[in-house]
This record gives sequence, C-alpha cells and structure tokens, in this order.
Amino acid sequence: MKSNVGELEDLATQIIDALRVKVDEAAVKISRTDTVMIKAARGKLTVGQSFEDYEVNLYLAKDRKILVTSFGASSRSQILEKAVRMVDSLEPSPFYAELPTPTGKSGEVLDKRIVDSFEGGDYSILAQVLSPDEWGDLSGMAEMAVQTEALLLSNGTLLTSARTWFDGYARIFKGEVSGQWSWVSTRLDLDLSSQALEKARELAEICASLPKEYPPTGPSRLLLSPMVSGNLLEIVASSTLASSVLLGFSMFRQDEIGEKVAGDALTIRSTPLDEELPGYSTYDDEGIQTRNIDVIKDGILKTFLHNTKTARIMKAETTGNAGWVFPKLFNLEILTGSMRDGELMDALEDGVYLTNNWYTRLQNYLEGRFSTVLRDAVIHVSGGKPKSCIPGYKLRLEGSLRGLIAGVVEAGMTQNNIMWWEVGTPTKLPHLLIVARDDISLRKASDNHS
Amino acid sequence: MSGSNAALGNEALDLDIFFEALDKALQLGSTYAEVRYHSHVGEGVLLINDNLAGGDINVEAGVAVRVVYKGALGFASTDKLDRNSVIKTVERAVASARAISHKTKDAISLSEEKLGRVSYSLKPREKFSDLSIEDKANILKEYSKNVTSEKIKIASKTFRYSDDVEEKIIVTSDGGYIESAIPRVSVFYNIAASSGDRRANKWGHIAGSGGLEVLKLQDLAESLSSDVHSLEVNLVDSEPPVKGVMDVILSPEIVGLALHESIGHPSEADRVLGREAAQAGLSYREWISGRIGSEHVTVADDPTIPNSYGYYLFDDEAVPARERILIKEGILHELLHSRITAARMGVSSNGAARAMNHRSEPIVRMANTYLKPGDMSLEELVEDVKEGVYIKTYMEWNIDEYRLVSRYVGLEAYRIRNGRLESPVRDVVLQIPTADFYTKIDGVGKDLSLYAGICGKGEPPQPLPVWMGGPHVRLREVRVG
Repeated sequence: MKSNVGELEDLATQIIDALRVKVDEAAVKISRTDTVMIKAARGKLTVGQSFEDYEVNLYLAKDRKILVTSFGASSRSQILEKAVRMVDSLEPSPFYAELPTPTGKSGEVLDKRIVDSFEGGDYSILAQVLSPDEWGDLSGMAEMAVQTEALLLSNGTLLTSARTWFDGYARIFKGEVSGQWSWVSTRLDLDLSSQALEKARELAEICASLPKEYPPTGPSRLLLSPMVSGNLLEIVASSTLASSVLLGFSMFRQDEIGEKVAGDALTIRSTPLDEELPGYSTYDDEGIQTRNIDVIKDGILKTFLHNTKTARIMKAETTGNAGWVFPKLFNLEILTGSMRDGELMDALEDGVYLTNNWYTRLQNYLEGRFSTVLRDAVIHVSGGKPKSCIPGYKLRLEGSLRGLIAGVVEAGMTQNNIMWWEVGTPTKLPHLLIVARDDISLRKASDNHS
Repeated sequence: MSGSNAALGNEALDLDIFFEALDKALQLGSTYAEVRYHSHVGEGVLLINDNLAGGDINVEAGVAVRVVYKGALGFASTDKLDRNSVIKTVERAVASARAISHKTKDAISLSEEKLGRVSYSLKPREKFSDLSIEDKANILKEYSKNVTSEKIKIASKTFRYSDDVEEKIIVTSDGGYIESAIPRVSVFYNIAASSGDRRANKWGHIAGSGGLEVLKLQDLAESLSSDVHSLEVNLVDSEPPVKGVMDVILSPEIVGLALHESIGHPSEADRVLGREAAQAGLSYREWISGRIGSEHVTVADDPTIPNSYGYYLFDDEAVPARERILIKEGILHELLHSRITAARMGVSSNGAARAMNHRSEPIVRMANTYLKPGDMSLEELVEDVKEGVYIKTYMEWNIDEYRLVSRYVGLEAYRIRNGRLESPVRDVVLQIPTADFYTKIDGVGKDLSLYAGICGKGEPPQPLPVWMGGPHVRLREVRVG
C-alpha cells in the first residue's frame, strides 16, 4: 500500500506544480480504490464484480472564482489546461472563502486481511459470506474495498489516508415474508456479517411464525430498527448540513442553534473519527482536522455542519466537514440508551416494530413532511410480545420527520453498523422507541390488500 | 476506434486492444465476453440566488469487461486505457466469475440476436463547445432572474446546469460492434418559498439529448413559470385537502411518473426474475398477467425518440433498440429484456440493457416511457366530472417494492365540480393500487408531454437518464385522501 500512496503523492505533486502559478489556490485529492462485490438473488449467486478506480478531484480558486473538476486516470493534461481557462471565465463566487490553514493529520485504518485478499486476487470469502447453501432464499450483496488517498494543497500541505471496508446486506425470504439487515466495518469482521444474516433470518422466521394480520393503523407507538432509523435520520442529519439550509432543502432552516428539536433520548453525532466505519477520515477536503461533533444532543440542535465557505456565510466556524464547495457527512452515530433489545420490546408494550423501509420521499423539505414504504417484517407487538406480522410493502409510514424525532423517548443499548441501498452514510445506531403522535401514522397501502 | 474521444480530445484508442481482450477472455475459458469503452465528458455551473457559485468539469473514461465463465457472470472495470490494464481487467472479470462459479446454480447464457455493427452519433444543433462556461451561466441567470413572485416570498432558488457527451465502443465475442456518441444537457432547479408560516419547495428537471437547443425545446421558461404558480397556489390560495371517492384528472407530469413506477419498473425482466430482490425490489408481473387497465391504456417504452433523455439506437449488448409495448389496450404485453433475461425466458432481447458508465454492468432499464395519447381535450375530460379533483403538480411520491400501490401528493391541485375547475386544494393524496389506476382510466387526452427523470436501480447504483410522460387522463371513482 505504501508504494500506492507514493504514486498518488507524485501525481498530486505534478498537478499542483502545473497549477501553482496559474491560480490563487489549488487543492487536489486523488484516490485509488479497489473493490470486489458479490451479489445474490433468490438463493443464487448472480454476479461477481471487480472495480479499479482512480479518481482525481481538483479545486481551483482565482480572484474568488471557484472551479471543481473530477476526472479519471486518463487525460490529465487536457483537463488541467481547460480548468485553468474555465476558472478565468467565471465570476467571483458568493460562496468563496480562502482555504484555511490545514490542521489535519494523515491517518489510516487498514485491515491487512482485506489488503491481502486483493494482493492475492482471492475473493472467495465473499461468496462464502453469501452462501445460498447456508442461508437458503437469500438475496443481497457483500463487498470489500481498499482505498488510498492523497490530498495536496497549494500551500504545500500533504495529507494521506488509507482505509479498508467490508460491507453488505442480506434479505432472507421465508415464503411471502422476509427479513433484511446490513453490516459495515473497516475490518473483515465475519462475525458482523454473519450476525446480520442471522438477524435477517430471525426476522423472517419470527414473521413467518406469526398470524398475518395488520397492526393498528394511524398513530401508534413505534420501535424503529436501525435499518429504518438509519434511513430516516440520515435525512435529518443531511438537514443539518449548512448547504441544505442555504439551498432550501433543510427542515431546520427556520431553527436557531440551541433550540429543542427532538426528544431527549436522541443524540445524533457526526463521527469522522470512528475507526470502525469507512467514512473514517482525520482531515476534511480543506485539510482541517476532523472531529466527532454532536449535531443534535439530547434533542437540542447544537450546530449546523460547515466547511469554511458556509461558515463564513452563516457566521460560524468550520466543523471540519468540508467538501470543497459544500460540507458533507463522513459517518454518523446515534447514541445508545439503556435498554437491551428485549427490554425495548417490553417498553413498546402495544405498538409496531418496523424492521426495514425504502423509498422515503419528502412532500416538503422545509417542513419535513414525508412518507416511506415499509419493507420486510412489520411486527405488531401487544403487551410486549409479538402478536402478528405482515410484509412491509402493505404499509406506509407518513407524517412529519420533525414529529418523528420529537417522539424519540428511548434508545437501545446495542448499536448496529448499518449501510445499504437506503442508508448511504455509514451509521452506527441502536433501536429507537417512538411515542404515539398525531403527526406520525401508519397507513395501509390499500384497503384492497387482504 | 481507430476511434477517439472527440469531446475529451483523447489520443486515439487502439482498437486492437479490445479484440485482444476478447481473445484473452476466451482463452481463459469464458464462453462469452464483451468489452466496452465508456466515457462521459461534461461541464456544469451552479447558480444560487442569481449568483454564480462555481463551475465544474466532469470527465470519466474507462473500460468494462463482462464475461460468462463456467456459467457464472463476471464483471470488471478500470479507468486505465493501456493494454496491460485492459488485459488485467479481463483477468479480474474472469476471477470474479470464478469466485462464484462453483456455487452458480443456473448457468448464465445470452439470447441469440442479430447484433449491430454500426457507428452512430447524435449531432447537436447548438454544440456545448460553442458557448463558454460564462455564456452557459448567463443563460441560467436569465431564467433565474425571471423566477419572481408578488404573492409569495422566494426564499432561495438553485439552478444546476450540466452537459455531457457519452461515448461508447462495445465489442462482443459473438460479433457485436457499436460505436456511439450522445450529447445530453440538463437543468435541475429547486425553488424554496414561503408565505406567512407556510413553507414549500418545488424542484424541476429539464433535460434531453442533443445540444443547448434542448432547453428551448423543453421550454424551461414555461416550466419555471408553472412551478412558481404551483407554489403560489399551494402556499396562498389553497384550501385544506379533499378526501373521499371521486373522479381524478391527472396531468402528464403525474401520468408519466405513475407509468415509470407502476408499469415500467415491474416490466423489467430481471426484476421479475428476482435479481433486484434485495435492492429495487420485485414485480407483480411475476404472478399477474393479462388485463391490468382499460382499453384506453397503451404504454410504450421507446429509446429511439429524437431528443429524448433516454435516447439510444443500440443497447449496451449491441442489440438494436426499438419501441417496446408494455401494455396494449389494457393488457400486459412485453417485458423489457437484456440478452441474459431473454435467454432465461426463451424470448428475444428488445434492447433494454443499459450501463451508466464504465464501472457498471449492463442491466435491464427503461428509456422513455409514456402513455399513448387518446382523443380528448382537457376541457372534455373535465366537463363531465361532477365531483372530482385535478392534480397538476406533485412533490412526494413512492411505491412499494412489488409496484402494487403507489402514492402521489399534489402540490398544485383543484377541485372539480359540475364540469368546472374550481378552488385550489393543497397536498391532495392519491394512494392507489396499480390495477385500480389503470382500469379506472376512462378518458385519455390528445396532448402529450414528456418529462426528464433520473431512474435509480442496480448495485452499485446506476442512476440513468430517462423520459416519462403521457397525456392528461381521467380516472373514475377513486379514493382520494
């Protein structure tokens, strides 16, 4: 891997050297990523995939004009010439802020077993993880990747990083019903993947064993699995990005820092320094040292997430979440509460356990009104015990995301590492208990469903 | 090519490498191989509140290799174009297939097709290169400056312009050879507005294939004006939502979305076969066949529509593109096929295999999905509605994984009473089973409008350009609210 980082450094240096006298500021970020992925569908392995990616990202500023470019391994010289010409023809950007003095340090989080798998060209471990022989009617994906990165700023600061990751998700059917779970780690943690598959199978089996009856619709006490909370709270966390506020995509646009926006039990933390999750980074795109930071703490909005540009506009400090134009999320964590999983079911008493969802859409980004379609097992709980179960596609959850986070009253004590199709940001989070509220309802997809 | 990426100004690619790569794949034991050079070259600008926030250049180019090895499917990509990298990519594709071949239960095969051996390109009338980035920003500014309202406060407006030239060379081991170049242009915008304590936003997307003329053909100005009006109606004029069983008239914008979601996606053969079970879901066409709509309903998906966002003439398996009829006079008809799904189902491919870029495998995708027009005007559709609602624009929508029940929430909508459009109503919810939607259509407009969209599917996800649309339609006696 060291030689690989050196190769990236050399290329970054050549690019910055070529630009130094032509622009006021430049930054280049070059990454090399090797990925292998195995997919399964309905009990069969369907495709093995292998990706080799070089990506060059470039930031140029001249006379307060801003240009960013991305390109692959080829055609560097043409792109650089064009970029210099193009930045000249732009206008000063209202977003411009001088790149800050870098404070970040290089860092890496590498699992040698993943690195060795790539060097040996042996990806069979992924096929074993998703073995239909063991898991039956399984659909899903398993992947592992190794990435090296070099960030070079025109002031000469060079930062490098390297990371590995192993992630995937599995959906297991038992007849009409199913369970789904995911995992993500920077390590080849086979216990994590097998626990995720076990969880998917367990949910499918629990659901298959229960009467197929609808839970009560309308407002209800809810237990959200980490799969569901991961999806919905990623939207909430994205609303705390300063760019979402400025561009009119944030449900917190009208809120002040320090306002109570959620239940006491909810703390959302931006965690770029979580070494277990692949968004791990010790520096942001401006070279600023990253830090774990509470965005919502005990229900109170603590900060918006900034780079230097949005911080200048909103009269704040950068939080070390820089992308070059807009801030970004690295990892997220939802802090735990005190309840074991079994106790959460007791605490739910009479309510509904939602295990997965997809297709969340907002009617109104500024007010956070949404609906989402449920998936996999939806379990009606009565007296703390599972009473019936129905496939999620027959139900929607609709209402207000602000209402949903205001209704969080308890968090489980066990976190799960979640990332899948509907949760793009690696997130570590527990189950969440939501009280019944008028602004959050379960609704049958159709009165015609039996 | 002796070809070159003209947009990028790349040095000529050596086509011999592609044929060498095919040979290598076969030598390693593959029974099928395809090699695809695939590039995107484009630039863009971001305008926020009439100010140019920045510009960008986006270039990606690389080679994809797909093989069938011992009945297993393997795929690999690289963004290095030299001989050694391409040959190593072949080896990785075979290794990827080998990793699963011992557990592959159903051997993959490809349908026999008359494959294309052609080169084609779409010539823009107004080339992207004819205008500087400053000129492109100025075009956006003109549109943005006209986004004003005296009734509501425009809190923010964001415009994102991007253009792109997509070039491909596809070579298959069974004789297919396609070179193509397709330019596309896109403007995405979001308008956030408020009135008193009420807030709402509306996004829109104008896009197509061709040059800058697409923005005029698609009438971005009219789209913006209409969307500001939608916000005004929603925030200022509307009454609380209506509920109950009533007739519903839907605009082409909502009809197109509905078709895409509830007819197009479930008609993807790979979804019917379960290959998207853990991602984009399954399909009711696994068990439902025959009539699903009234005789007024004929739905087509056609990649060959000039200037369309989903335009192509040969798919990424070198199969000629053609119109696919998904519903014919209310009866479920064709599925969308790749060569792999066609072979599995014993039919021919209809040219629906598309890949987003060089790091994407070709999978079954829609192109431009629309409802065939009827013969009624909007006035005729409205005039014999006693009690109903007309939903003109939407913000929220979703659908379950089997595509059985979809939901659309109106931004701008109007009550209909006794054949007349009356007061506006906000946030009308239409949550409706697919079969109800299409069987209850009793009137189809003679108008036809098509809208741009980015369709999501696959793992890794492959967002792809599509169009969707249709005429106005009338649904009788459906539940609203």
